[in-house]
Amino acid sequence: MFIDIDCAQEKKYGQNTYGDKFLSKRYPEKGELIAVLSDGLGSGIKANILASMTATMLLKFVEAGRSIKRTCEVVMNALPVCEVRKISYSTFSVAVCTEEGDVKIVEEGNPQFVYISDGKVIEPEFTVIDSETFKNRHMHVYKLKLKLGDRLVFCSDGVTQAGLGNPELKLGLRRSGLIKCLLERLQEKPDISSSELSKYIVRIACNTEVDRHAKDDISCCVIHYREPRKALIFTGPPYHMEKDRQYALEFKNAEGKKAICGGTTANLISRELNIPVKCDITGSVGKLPAVSKMEGVDLVTEGILTLTRTVEYLENGFKDKEKNAAYELMEFLLNSDCIEFMVGAKLNQAHYDPNLPIEIEIRKNIIKKMAKILEDKYIKKVIVRYI
Amino acid sequence: MSKIEVKICMGTTCFVMGASHLQELVEILPAKYPDTVDVMGVPCLDLCSNESKYTNAPYVKINDEIISDATTEKVLKHIERLLEDGQE
Repeated sequence: MFIDIDCAQEKKYGQNTYGDKFLSKRYPEKGELIAVLSDGLGSGIKANILASMTATMLLKFVEAGRSIKRTCEVVMNALPVCEVRKISYSTFSVAVCTEEGDVKIVEEGNPQFVYISDGKVIEPEFTVIDSETFKNRHMHVYKLKLKLGDRLVFCSDGVTQAGLGNPELKLGLRRSGLIKCLLERLQEKPDISSSELSKYIVRIACNTEVDRHAKDDISCCVIHYREPRKALIFTGPPYHMEKDRQYALEFKNAEGKKAICGGTTANLISRELNIPVKCDITGSVGKLPAVSKMEGVDLVTEGILTLTRTVEYLENGFKDKEKNAAYELMEFLLNSDCIEFMVGAKLNQAHYDPNLPIEIEIRKNIIKKMAKILEDKYIKKVIVRYI
Repeated sequence: MSKIEVKICMGTTCFVMGASHLQELVEILPAKYPDTVDVMGVPCLDLCSNESKYTNAPYVKINDEIISDATTEKVLKHIERLLEDGQE
């Protein structure tokens, strides 16, 4: 199973930084993921430091396989003491998830997470571990077995207490209000992504507040077990022309979404599979070549220029005013979990003509760079095959 | 008389060598010759990879003829000539 995880946040109104910290890390070789959400005491810079320290330490300790009880003692002892309140404090939730669905969760101080399976909320059993040095600090430990489609929703108290003081919600949104919003949204859109659902909850929490000003830092983290979304990108003609047909058929029969990057490649597939390709050139002058249409293929773009621009967007974010083919390719990639590149190794001599006005990189290098960004920055599974 | 078919190559080489500007033909041609000319882009005319023969991108294909070093003016002139020939 693929673990889709994302967290959305909002700062307390008037503060310039977040007082909650979310960290997550994937360990592809172990098929594991660790996520930590921490809420620092107070708000602003101080809370940010407390939460960041807590989250970072927890992630490192859990990663190293240390006992959670010992870890928490170390963390609590390490945190600086608040001058106003004379205590050091930050709450946290840690989740260690495997791709098989085994999840271990430790919570301290955060609102209890919401476990949703088949459209219903499950209240799982837990064991309590008391802190030896800190009174009133109890950790709740859960061991769960999740199945395909299950979700876990973690949030800071900024969500459950949103709207506090609002005449209609004297105690704020509360956990029950959060659950109601979650179930309603999931009924409307059962396959909603973690990114979209977490953003939705944060928006609801903000809108619940009086004057829509967040009274506390608001964070919502969603973990969703689902089938991986596969994507295949065919770019560049194969080195051995006689294998064109074989690769075209492989492309046709592959599961998941498909894209072609390259004019020659599009023609090759069109020829081998006998599917016409239509080019839309209503795009404005001087920009990237526009996308083409081909039945059975989700996206058809030009090659090197579009790929180069997409790498730029993936690295630095999309800042252009108009959405172009590179933007569509970026969206295509980011909306997939497992991405395979079939990279044709044939060179086009014309690309190395010194008269060409701009630098045109070698396809292999661009794909190598793109794969690295997708793996490191966007935590995608990437396979590159040279053909 | 069947319509004149204009195909603009949108491949990488042609695009950087000037086909990006040829895209204006998509607006010019249908406005000027609504009933006689069809214009479209193609992902690649597969000409530039034939290094010995074609080194003059961008390319436009008008019916079966290839226009190298294509510019909007060159394409328009060629179409005018074809139309004149057709009328004779």
